[in-house]
Amino acid sequence: MRRPRLPALPAATRTPLARLLVAACFCALLIYPWIYSKYLTTTLTQWLPDTSTAFVILAFTVMGLGLNFVVGYAGLLDLGYVAFFAAGAYIAGFLASEQFANAGSVVFGGTVLPGTPGIHLSPWLVILIAAIFTALLGIVIGIPTLRLRGDYLAIVTLGFGEIIPQFVRNGDNLGGFNLTNGSFGMNGIDGLGFGNRVHHAIHALPANFLNELDSRWYYWTALALVVVTIVSSILLRDSRLGRAWIAIREDEDAAAAMGVPLMRTKTLSYAIGAFFGGAAGALITLQAGATSPDAFSLQVSIFVLSMVILGGIGNVWGVALGGILLAYVNYKGLFAAGNTFNSTFGTNVDIPEYSYLIYGVAIVLFMLVRPEGLIPSARRRAELHEEEEEENLVPESSTA
Amino acid sequence: MTDELLVDARSVRKEFGGLVACNDIDFTVERGSIVSLIGPNGAGKTTFFNMLTGSYTPTAGEIVFDGRDIVGLPQHKITALGIGRTFQNIRLFGAMTALENVLVGMHARLDSGLFRSLFRTPLQRREERQGRAQARELLAYCGLSPRAERQYARHLAYGDQRRVEIARALATDPKLLLLDEPTAGMNPRETNAFVDFVRKAREDRGLTVLLIEHDMRVVVQVSERVTVLDYGEKIAEGTPDEVTADERVRSAYLGTKPVA
Amino acid sequence: MGTSVGTAAETSRRPSFALVPRLRSRAVAVVGILLLALVAFWLVENAVHDIRQFALVSLNGITNGSIYALVAIGYTLVYGILELINFAHGDVFSWGAMITYSVAISWLGASGHSGIALFGILAVGLVCAALFCATLNMAVERVAYRRLRNAPRLAPLITAIGMSFVLSNLIAVVYGFNYVSSEPLLPRGALFTIGGQAYGWDKLIVLLITVPTLVSLMIVVKRTRWGKAMRATAQNRDAARLMGIDVDRAIAFAFGLGGALAGIGGFVYLVYFTQGRFDLGFRIGLFAFTAAVLGGIGNILGAALGGYLIGFIENYNSGLTWHAPGPSWTESLVFILLILILVFRPHGLLGESLSTRS
Repeated sequence: MRRPRLPALPAATRTPLARLLVAACFCALLIYPWIYSKYLTTTLTQWLPDTSTAFVILAFTVMGLGLNFVVGYAGLLDLGYVAFFAAGAYIAGFLASEQFANAGSVVFGGTVLPGTPGIHLSPWLVILIAAIFTALLGIVIGIPTLRLRGDYLAIVTLGFGEIIPQFVRNGDNLGGFNLTNGSFGMNGIDGLGFGNRVHHAIHALPANFLNELDSRWYYWTALALVVVTIVSSILLRDSRLGRAWIAIREDEDAAAAMGVPLMRTKTLSYAIGAFFGGAAGALITLQAGATSPDAFSLQVSIFVLSMVILGGIGNVWGVALGGILLAYVNYKGLFAAGNTFNSTFGTNVDIPEYSYLIYGVAIVLFMLVRPEGLIPSARRRAELHEEEEEENLVPESSTA
Repeated sequence: MTDELLVDARSVRKEFGGLVACNDIDFTVERGSIVSLIGPNGAGKTTFFNMLTGSYTPTAGEIVFDGRDIVGLPQHKITALGIGRTFQNIRLFGAMTALENVLVGMHARLDSGLFRSLFRTPLQRREERQGRAQARELLAYCGLSPRAERQYARHLAYGDQRRVEIARALATDPKLLLLDEPTAGMNPRETNAFVDFVRKAREDRGLTVLLIEHDMRVVVQVSERVTVLDYGEKIAEGTPDEVTADERVRSAYLGTKPVA
Repeated sequence: MGTSVGTAAETSRRPSFALVPRLRSRAVAVVGILLLALVAFWLVENAVHDIRQFALVSLNGITNGSIYALVAIGYTLVYGILELINFAHGDVFSWGAMITYSVAISWLGASGHSGIALFGILAVGLVCAALFCATLNMAVERVAYRRLRNAPRLAPLITAIGMSFVLSNLIAVVYGFNYVSSEPLLPRGALFTIGGQAYGWDKLIVLLITVPTLVSLMIVVKRTRWGKAMRATAQNRDAARLMGIDVDRAIAFAFGLGGALAGIGGFVYLVYFTQGRFDLGFRIGLFAFTAAVLGGIGNILGAALGGYLIGFIENYNSGLTWHAPGPSWTESLVFILLILILVFRPHGLLGESLSTRS
């Protein structure tokens, strides 16, 4: 699992070839459900994820991209990103299920029938609220902790990554109140959908994605979220805020001396990272229809962090690709490889069981083979930039 | 009288775990002047700089800048009040271009936040455009070739890195410019050019300049007043001629006490 | 006994972004004192409520705490010398427990013996665990950390996280994902009883192993040539090199020493709790790290005391009856404590507050 060699790096997205490549990748992802169903009968499907697996892959890629705001741009090592995943998941559970059935029936644009007990907001609204709530949680966690030095911050975030799932696990009895159902988690969470009114107007748009034959609508939703995250990443990177983040990553003291307010800027990166983590968490939960505290372990945080490391810290396209690649390996590739391995050698090894051994080895190897570690994208950007400089001396439109 | 003083520091003291780095230093800078802070290594010059910029908080004493007590203010607020600085060992943002480095210096003067940046409002676009134009002007003013402005700071030649650092400090629109050993590593020709540059910048931009400097020729050429620190104490103050004639300064520099 | 291997360099780099530092520190002090008062009140109330239970729980706390102390020292040694949070240290501890299982229980069949034979077998198990973990920790340093010594600060930390996953999952490869367990090995007969509840021999035996180990470690660090070389390296690596100290070997020594202690900790854990699993080291590692931070990271005595403090917290929380949050909250409490300490007293409870800028 070497770091993939990426053709498209930030500075290169301005060249026509890179743009073409990005557009081609996007189109391929867009029509993936059809590609998959076309090759359904061939042996290739053993290696291709079905649409619901592909959905999960994309949703985790959103998390990788979200974490990139924190680790990649601002250079803050966050080992507790799973906390935001958990927060997003549970907010979705609260606002789109029968969890609070004794509060009566609050149906607002949900995908359920009117009169269903519990709170059922429109799933799109749920995702937005989950993201905003999680961003606020990020601010609350960030304000006391972001003043800490890098490695201490890492440990503290890890602590929050453990505290929040434990809170959820113990949340069935908070002074007698059952908030979270404890270790049972929540079930019967509404699916995504456009609702009956939209469906009656435009029949192509399903009222509830759960009623569809496959998960392609979920898949497209996740893809849309990936696109939103990438676009936000790029827009923010090429702005005053993005420059301040990268300045902090490069030299915190110098950044402060140049007038960058450290706490506010760091907290903002943390909040935005949390925002996308919460959105992805809510999306995954709405698709799965259930969530439980067991889903929120340190492993998830490290898994998402590995995406950022693998893809090239701070490099949007790299992280997107690293995220898709790693999530693919985790949710499909290893199973496929394990099956192939076992059927070829007649063994019975459960290869996916050792996935974290593989990720661990990959992290260590990657850090050792590229000891400059945290700034490879910058270095490679710089190298690419020099080549570009030769042919393109027009000082206009320097994005950065 | 006090209106003439841009910096008025009284009994400023800094201790590091019992070690006194600056011992009750009184120090003033008149508006529009060029002042040098000199002294052997470890005399407390950079510590004093760091207290002026807010990167250290003094253990005791007060620092009034432009009529405001700045002790305890966070660094970015002090920068916004009008103190810009360079560092002893150049500290550019290596993975950013020269132009971006200068734009970071403008951070406090621009105000596009999260939403304007995300939605690329006309206001944000105009501000970016103007900011870039100003940054280019500043880089050109400091003598950087247009070719170099899109290069990554870590790939720039040493002299260009110095130029970018000064441009970045000027981008904060300072009233007071702090230069920490700006001529280190320069040859005599470059040093002369630098002295001219500092004078010119003061005229053009109405700056007050405070330098830490080792090269006594530069100190004598450029500064109107000189303050000498040794072992955290102020041992002399005055015009360059007065200071160089001072017995204590001579002994501090020439060896009754260890210089390194 | 101030065997500190902390560095001064780090303190000068910590920036302060406090709005009004003096005001803030006063408010923090007030809140801190209130919190401490609350905890003290809770403890006293519990003691009055049921003094026997309180005494017993305290004694249990000492036993658990001594395991944390052993592991915490490994964190503090490495942090003191490299400023690296050796994330994989908890998993070295897990390996200690598993090696003990293999050697003493699987190979030598400890559960079928008693008396001197059992003592001999356990001694062999302890030595094997200590040696194996010392070697393992040094190997990790050699393979993964040494090359990154001058890399950006977060690079070795990320590597350490990767190493942690490698080590714990290697246990899963060898021993599987489930618990391995043994018959009780230590005599569990009552040494004395308090209010009808027994204090077992096994708890005392744990102390008889751990306390001398901790004392001899202090002596090694303070008195021996290698200990001195290690402390010199921690204080100033370049100066130590100029003085003719082999810095690489001093660092390897710190890893070896920390590894050996973790191995002994693993041994104690296995014979005391009679079970172990691949992910054992995660929780205990984090508790021990918290202990090291509590004591002022880099401070060996502090780490040991911090370990005991964590042991008390864990047992008071799970064992006391009057308004204790209960064992399901232990981790959250420890982490909240860790966060509070890091945010408000980053030099720990023992380390003098050298905060230079506020």
